[in-house]
Amino acid sequence: MTAADSSPVLPEGLRDRVLAASLRARAAGRPEPAAPEISPDEAFSRAADAFYGMLGVLRAQDWRRPALRGLDVQGLVGHLTGVEEDVHRCLAGDGQVARVNHIESTQAAADRQAGRSPAETRAEWRHAADRTVELVHAASDLGTEVAVHGLRLPLRLLLVVRAFELWVHDNDIRQATGLPPSVPDPSTLTLMAQAAARLLPYAAARNGLCEPTRVHLVLTGPGGGTWDIPVGDSTPAPAPVGIVADAVGFCRLAANRTTPDRLGPHITGDPDRATSLLAAVSTLALD
Amino acid sequence: MIATCFPAGNPVLVRSGIGPCLAAGNGASVPDVGGTDALLAARLAAGDDLALAEAFDTLAPAVYSGALRVLGHHAAAQDVVQDVFVQLWSHPGRYDPDAGSLRGYLTMQARHRALDLVRGELRRMARQERSSRLQPGPPEPSLYEQVMASETAAAVRAAVERLPESQRRMVELAYFQGLTCREAAQAAGIPEGTAKSRLRLALAKLETVLDRQLLESS
Repeated sequence: MTAADSSPVLPEGLRDRVLAASLRARAAGRPEPAAPEISPDEAFSRAADAFYGMLGVLRAQDWRRPALRGLDVQGLVGHLTGVEEDVHRCLAGDGQVARVNHIESTQAAADRQAGRSPAETRAEWRHAADRTVELVHAASDLGTEVAVHGLRLPLRLLLVVRAFELWVHDNDIRQATGLPPSVPDPSTLTLMAQAAARLLPYAAARNGLCEPTRVHLVLTGPGGGTWDIPVGDSTPAPAPVGIVADAVGFCRLAANRTTPDRLGPHITGDPDRATSLLAAVSTLALD
Repeated sequence: MIATCFPAGNPVLVRSGIGPCLAAGNGASVPDVGGTDALLAARLAAGDDLALAEAFDTLAPAVYSGALRVLGHHAAAQDVVQDVFVQLWSHPGRYDPDAGSLRGYLTMQARHRALDLVRGELRRMARQERSSRLQPGPPEPSLYEQVMASETAAAVRAAVERLPESQRRMVELAYFQGLTCREAAQAAGIPEGTAKSRLRLALAKLETVLDRQLLESS
């Protein structure tokens, strides 16, 4: 070690100067490289195409395998057809669909797949997904608030949530049939991660986590980013809770397809608080 | 599907960089996020400004020391530190954790930039000396003179001394006496093309020797 190394006192002001120059070059929170931006309807279309492609490689016997909630693969695809049909009703202004249960309302669509060929089930779902895209393109404003399955949210967010659901069930089927898991393309994943991050305060409130907290959420990998999120019912206290996690893993957590432990986050600040918040995120799933 | 029914009043969500991040940049305590270089690199790529602050607090002294050792000039060394960290933040993917430590990567970047400054200053001095021959009078003290007084200057002088006589003569004529290539060729009594060739060889050797010496000196 040289004399210079042993007395590394930095000139006053250098830290501020360097950090400010850095943040002028790239704003905080922005990932590098940033995924190309896509619209929410494009994200839904991509997720639908990926899901349809995955169904196309299933063997006949795969469609009979148990997948989720007592549904086999074919029934789960039927469930998704039912979801699309409810979304159609929602976009048509049917107020009834705003209050129905996500699972109960789609059970009939799942049940009616019994006795059908996989090709019929696959074609019916594709038709329903295409109809969703048509109706969305016909809608004048993606900011329009819509209500379905007990949820009230802007149409653009509904599309991201729908892309989210397709990806999650895509992986449910992959797991049931021995296919390797899939990861959304970075552009779609970016929208999904943003949605999951945005829902953190809601998840906390729903789980009674009302103590003011500032969460510094860092989601790593393609589709990631950094957010400072106030959580709680008043101005957040200054001490932040830092959570660093893989973006895909965090999305899986939001879909209740992994646990905070398996996510393996890097936590700073109050670890109990961070763990509670992550546990709350996992309750967002409706399945 | 995930639940998306917001309570009254949508949650406020801001990209990082507002408030707490600036506070970190202004000297407030940065949470101890520790972890490996790979984690730090992933956080930098995700736009985590606290990771940038942490990297600076941990590694800037070494980067500054390395730059100062080469340059012997505080202001220039600070510029190198800024350049290195701005580049790290702007292009975090250029650092490969599998290839070595972040400390090693940043100090290497600092030395390369410092050496670039030295080379640029050598070229600037050569131009200035050529110009000053037409305008008599003592030149202002320059960064070059301070650099020559530093540890690096000794390395430069030693490297020049080790050049073959014919090449050393060209360096002295072109850089230290400020002659043009044609003038240097005439002074040495050789064709201009030969002079250029010797000068190119000499500079290539100097760059190699200086890079190795200065890197090993740490």
